[in-house]
Amino acid sequence: MTTKNFIISGAGGQGVLSLGVALANIFMIADKFVSFCPCYGAEMRGGAVNCEVNVSDNELFILQNSKADFVVAMNQLSFDKFISKVKENGTIIVNSSLAKINKTRDDIKYIFVPLTQEALKLGNIKTANSIALGILSGLLGNILFDNVKKIYKKALKDKTELLQKNLDAYLLGFKYIKEKECV
Amino acid sequence: MSEKQLLKGNIAIAKAALEAGCKCYFGYPITPQSEIGEFLSLEMQKLDLGYVCAESEIGAINMALGATATGTKALVSSSSCAISLMQEALSYAASDELPIVLVNVMRAGPGQGYIYPSQGDYNQATVGGGNGDYHTIVLSPSSVEECALMTYRAFYLSQKYKNPVILLVDGFLGQMAEGVELVKNPYPEIDNSSWILSGANNRDSRKIHSLEPNQDKLNNHIRNLSAKYKEIEKNEVDYEKYLCDDAEIIITAFGSLARAAKEVCNHYRKKGVRIGLFRPKTLWPFPYQELGELSKKIKIFVDIEMNLGQMLKDVKLALSSGAKVSFIGKPVGDWLKLEEMIQGIENIIKENQVASL
Repeated sequence: MTTKNFIISGAGGQGVLSLGVALANIFMIADKFVSFCPCYGAEMRGGAVNCEVNVSDNELFILQNSKADFVVAMNQLSFDKFISKVKENGTIIVNSSLAKINKTRDDIKYIFVPLTQEALKLGNIKTANSIALGILSGLLGNILFDNVKKIYKKALKDKTELLQKNLDAYLLGFKYIKEKECV
Repeated sequence: MSEKQLLKGNIAIAKAALEAGCKCYFGYPITPQSEIGEFLSLEMQKLDLGYVCAESEIGAINMALGATATGTKALVSSSSCAISLMQEALSYAASDELPIVLVNVMRAGPGQGYIYPSQGDYNQATVGGGNGDYHTIVLSPSSVEECALMTYRAFYLSQKYKNPVILLVDGFLGQMAEGVELVKNPYPEIDNSSWILSGANNRDSRKIHSLEPNQDKLNNHIRNLSAKYKEIEKNEVDYEKYLCDDAEIIITAFGSLARAAKEVCNHYRKKGVRIGLFRPKTLWPFPYQELGELSKKIKIFVDIEMNLGQMLKDVKLALSSGAKVSFIGKPVGDWLKLEEMIQGIENIIKENQVASL
């Protein structure tokens, strides 16, 4: 891994920024250079929200990129908005519970996963972002589960039930991408 | 404090302020700097320090005038249009020689503008928006780590010179986070017992005010301030040079945009064009002499800013004869992309017929 750029996008309340922060933290404790840049301003629960995470073996100079290697789109609005931001040969992970399966580009990889439905099956809709992180991790292949646990523990502190649910969600995403052919 | 943490620029500033011995915070929420107040409102309560969410920005900065007059380290933070409201008090603080540390996390202007990031307050910060012959020291960080280091420096310089210091941060840097290890405050404490209002007890009484009806005394006061500014100009100029030694083109930029400019240098180095970066870390005092020295042998300069050319005037003043400077800029919003900067420089290279392309 030299430098990888991620855009995480969705609606406020879907854990978009939490996912970005977790991703940056996980790579930070793996001794990578990381940056996390949220969109900011009059954002609110339900409104559009996104962030950019950059990870590199070397010092980062460019913190706002025009395109990303990986885009996570948690709903239709963000899918429409960020599909053009995926680099050639890049990957977009789309929450197909809240976005229509539609492939308009043939130079990128699409991964449609019903994140919201899967999270509901796990018993907590808030864990959809952790499933997405598991998928990212499965695709990248260089995230240590121990580091994920460490960061999740730090973020969720004494909320042990929520912590376990999120770790389950992460593993579900990780296995999903390994085992299933995603439409 | 040594563990690596993922910190926003705003939080790094707040943490460093506490570490530097800041005892009071006065502010009023405004995007994109609200995290500073939010963080300190919690932490300062725990530490039993003074946190006031003021009724207005004018109230906030005037509270800092009072606090610093008693020798208490105080921090005020705000953003662009609200910093404008504080200019009168800054002029008073400069005349009263009060060590206020003011953080401006810049958003878009003029007027109310919007919350988009910008570097549009260069002129206001470096030239000054208040009345009279005065200067504020202006520090410009380009990374989250520097946000912390320059907060330490801001407190130190404000105490050392009894002068207001502005930490000029762009909204993008205030909001972004990166992994940093916060170091301890490296600066010594400055003895302020000779001037602070601490209760007269057995000494002569003191007063701090800027009103001076006696013409001679007022002239002397301003000349003394001016002598102090000359000292600051002599001692405190700070800058970074990146790949400048063999450069044929020099980019000048400040703040977080200067970091992106390093990648422009790297891009062209790979193509055999020797580009370097000169980044002022103190915007006042500006490194005129050092930049002027560079321009004795390098003749092509490119100034890049997220405004329409404010530092450009200082760059022009610094350059020696024969050197010329082009400008690439955008007023507000998403930072100039790497591709946009490269395209801009491509044209400048063609115009100047730089040999190695």
